[in-house]
Amino acid sequence: MAVAETASDRPRVERLAKSAAGSGTLGDKVFFGLTYSFAALVLLILAGILLSLLIGSWPAFERLGLGFFTSVSWNPVTEKFGAVAPVYGTLVTSLIALLFGVPISLGIVIVLTELAPERLRRPISTAIELLAAIPSIIYGMWGLFVFVPFYKAYIQPALGSSLGKVPIVGALFSGPPFGVGMLTAGLILAIMILPFIAAVMRDVFETVPPLLRESAYALGATTWEVVWHVILPYTRTGVAGAIMLGLGRALGETMAVTFVIGNSNEINASLFMPATTISATIANEFTEAVGDVYYSSLIALGLTLFFITFVVLVLAKLMLRQLAGKVR
Amino acid sequence: MLGTSASPASQEGDSRIELRAPAPAASAEDAEAVLPAVKIEVRDLKFYYGQALALRSISMHIYDRRVTALIGPSGCGKSTFLRTLNRIYELYPHQRAEGEVILDGENILGANVDLNRLRARVGMVFQKPTPFPMSIYDNIAFGIRLYERLSTVEMDERVERAITKAALWGEVKDKLRASGLSLSGGQQQRLCIARAIALNPEVVLLDEPASALDPISTQRIEELIKELREDYTVVIVTHNLQQAARVADYTALMYLGELVEFDDTETIFTRPSKKQTEDYVTGRFG
Amino acid sequence: MISLYRRRRLFNYFQMTASVLVTALGIFILASILWTLISYGFRGLSLRMLTDMTPPPGSAGGVLNAIAGSVVLTALGIIIGTPIGVLAGTYLAEYSERGKIAEATRFINDILLSAPSILIGLFVYEIAVVPTHHFSAWAGAIALALIAIPVIVRTSEDMLRLVPNDLREAATALGAPRWKMIVQVSYRAARAGILTGILLALARIAGETAPLLFTVLNNQFWSSNLDAPMANLPVVIFQFALSPYTDWQQLAWASALLVTASILGLNIFVRLTLGKREKRS
Repeated sequence: MAVAETASDRPRVERLAKSAAGSGTLGDKVFFGLTYSFAALVLLILAGILLSLLIGSWPAFERLGLGFFTSVSWNPVTEKFGAVAPVYGTLVTSLIALLFGVPISLGIVIVLTELAPERLRRPISTAIELLAAIPSIIYGMWGLFVFVPFYKAYIQPALGSSLGKVPIVGALFSGPPFGVGMLTAGLILAIMILPFIAAVMRDVFETVPPLLRESAYALGATTWEVVWHVILPYTRTGVAGAIMLGLGRALGETMAVTFVIGNSNEINASLFMPATTISATIANEFTEAVGDVYYSSLIALGLTLFFITFVVLVLAKLMLRQLAGKVR
Repeated sequence: MLGTSASPASQEGDSRIELRAPAPAASAEDAEAVLPAVKIEVRDLKFYYGQALALRSISMHIYDRRVTALIGPSGCGKSTFLRTLNRIYELYPHQRAEGEVILDGENILGANVDLNRLRARVGMVFQKPTPFPMSIYDNIAFGIRLYERLSTVEMDERVERAITKAALWGEVKDKLRASGLSLSGGQQQRLCIARAIALNPEVVLLDEPASALDPISTQRIEELIKELREDYTVVIVTHNLQQAARVADYTALMYLGELVEFDDTETIFTRPSKKQTEDYVTGRFG
Repeated sequence: MISLYRRRRLFNYFQMTASVLVTALGIFILASILWTLISYGFRGLSLRMLTDMTPPPGSAGGVLNAIAGSVVLTALGIIIGTPIGVLAGTYLAEYSERGKIAEATRFINDILLSAPSILIGLFVYEIAVVPTHHFSAWAGAIALALIAIPVIVRTSEDMLRLVPNDLREAATALGAPRWKMIVQVSYRAARAGILTGILLALARIAGETAPLLFTVLNNQFWSSNLDAPMANLPVVIFQFALSPYTDWQQLAWASALLVTASILGLNIFVRLTLGKREKRS
């Protein structure tokens, strides 16, 4: 009994040999080519950024040489530019951000993973993630118009009269309460990066085998002890990666910092004094930069930021590699 | 080791035990046929996962318009063997096959073979039902559209025919636009069978098609397999011995990547030549 | 003399309380930000805001041109970035698991994901503004696309990876060529997740300011010329908020409210509708 009711039923594929057109259909080749080239494009983008920064900053290095990295001056008139103040500002604000952001993130993650009842976890988690979604310019505005007045009226005087009087450390908290300044910027940054650190830290905490946690509790350890002595050591690398990731964000943050750092190209011991960061400098002065050297120096600052952030992000990625392996 | 069924079922007459439906196609000239035609001849088939050898020099015949079952304990290589028949393993870079698998005179393992055409002739149904995230209609039409441009009327007809052949039409005729995922497990699997036979393949490969299904769905699939035999060559992998006994004309026992014995089902189950076979079918191991 | 046990208990209590307090602090800050936006922004909200263009300093006006500009820039950015991102993610998920290019792309993509957006702005300035000698909406769109791409690549790859291999094999077993299998089956199966990624990228670029400063700048007037500077909300906010004029400041707050409401709204929408099949990655 024949199976094909009508001749049109059977697809015309009697022989299996490939057609003369060669291996694979045209569609396959085109599609593969597209996906491959776009994947490679990602690599080209990074290379492009690096290249454009190198080329753009060349005039500055030609004129100023490596002294660019050691000079504190920033004088558009005499065309003497130095990266020290911005770099200093970038590093110090980011450090402050980590100093405050990491413990707060840890606290949040402890609440999310150990303390909060099931029903509350989702809302708290969502609230923290919404913090991450808020654009940085909004942080800048809130920082300048809400946080700064409060800080200026209460926190700064309090710090000034307490820690400010302590020898050595006091130098950090001296000076008039401007409101804006290094510390303010650092604190705003801390708020900005804590959702990122908390999110990654939580993911890392969740890779801890439940049995490990349970056995620690079973020995009568308190929650804090379980976190500090069991969970953190186990997730050590991942947590370090989370911190590096937060650092990477803090280093490159522009808008929030520009609003509250005071934009002064000076280095001071006191955290109360206005300062500047690399991205704040670029953001503020780029559109008004006149002259090749000025403009090129700003690009050179960008190049510096590129290297600093690149190193930090690569380290973060390497540390989080293990986490990625587990989750994938 | 080639199948050595000395006497075809038709000559066995009444003395045979009723293990399965009569094997030969309903053709009057059947009496003269000694053996059915060979649809696929496998010669010295070896299979590698990376460096590990998974199939060791398998040689056997698969007969046209018969159901051949592959049985054996887990890990014996029966699925691996099945998957060489449509070269689906080519999706994975570290898997390769050596030897010859000859379908109607052409070696499908050859370098010059168009895989898409091969798969139009050799269809496959998988262990877990895999309906595409599309409507029931589109699930069937998807395969057809790969090869033919049909008018809506023609396509409707083809879809209906395929679903009918898979014994599913009554249950879905009013909801062809519903998602394929809205069907029950047994229905989804019959949908997958319909999808495969919509292309009018010559060979249909079934990889443990009922293992994820309840007993009633399993029974329906088995009845369907017996019907499929009239139009297609069926190769089925199953870990269920009774299922093999129920539906297959020929059975091959595999163990640790080797073909232990191949014969018509009745022989394998009642008068196997090898002790290993006897041990397996009587449940002493496996 | 407090026993060791009691000391441990106390310390734990202290730490747990501290954790709860900082969490409350975090939520309080979120509330403060939202409240500030609502109260300050509300004052500036008016129908006028949506009908007039950005005014010169010291006079009333609206931000219609900025809204339109932002919509155009964001839309263009997503239109340019989505195909690149999805296809690159497709390469990583469907074609190459461990190849050199794939590993390198994944690595670099994650770096770009967290890279300072100001550097992207500088880069696009060099390649799009300098050669043409003017700022343009195109440059802004490209900068936004470059920020969106890493997000979309990452989510597309992750979502495509979740598609079970069975489905791919089933399509291949029917004889579908690889590209059809990917487009007609894989993409369909991962549809929701990929869309989520695109929407999240959208939410991200809608709030970016720094890259726009060097590429599209701003425009006091209505402009539909993609080759020229175009008004946009983030830069308007930046300019107006730091100005000494109250009219401008009010507009800045109202615009900030608008932008934040849109972005948070988008985030919540994504979370609610597509979060049912959520997978952390």
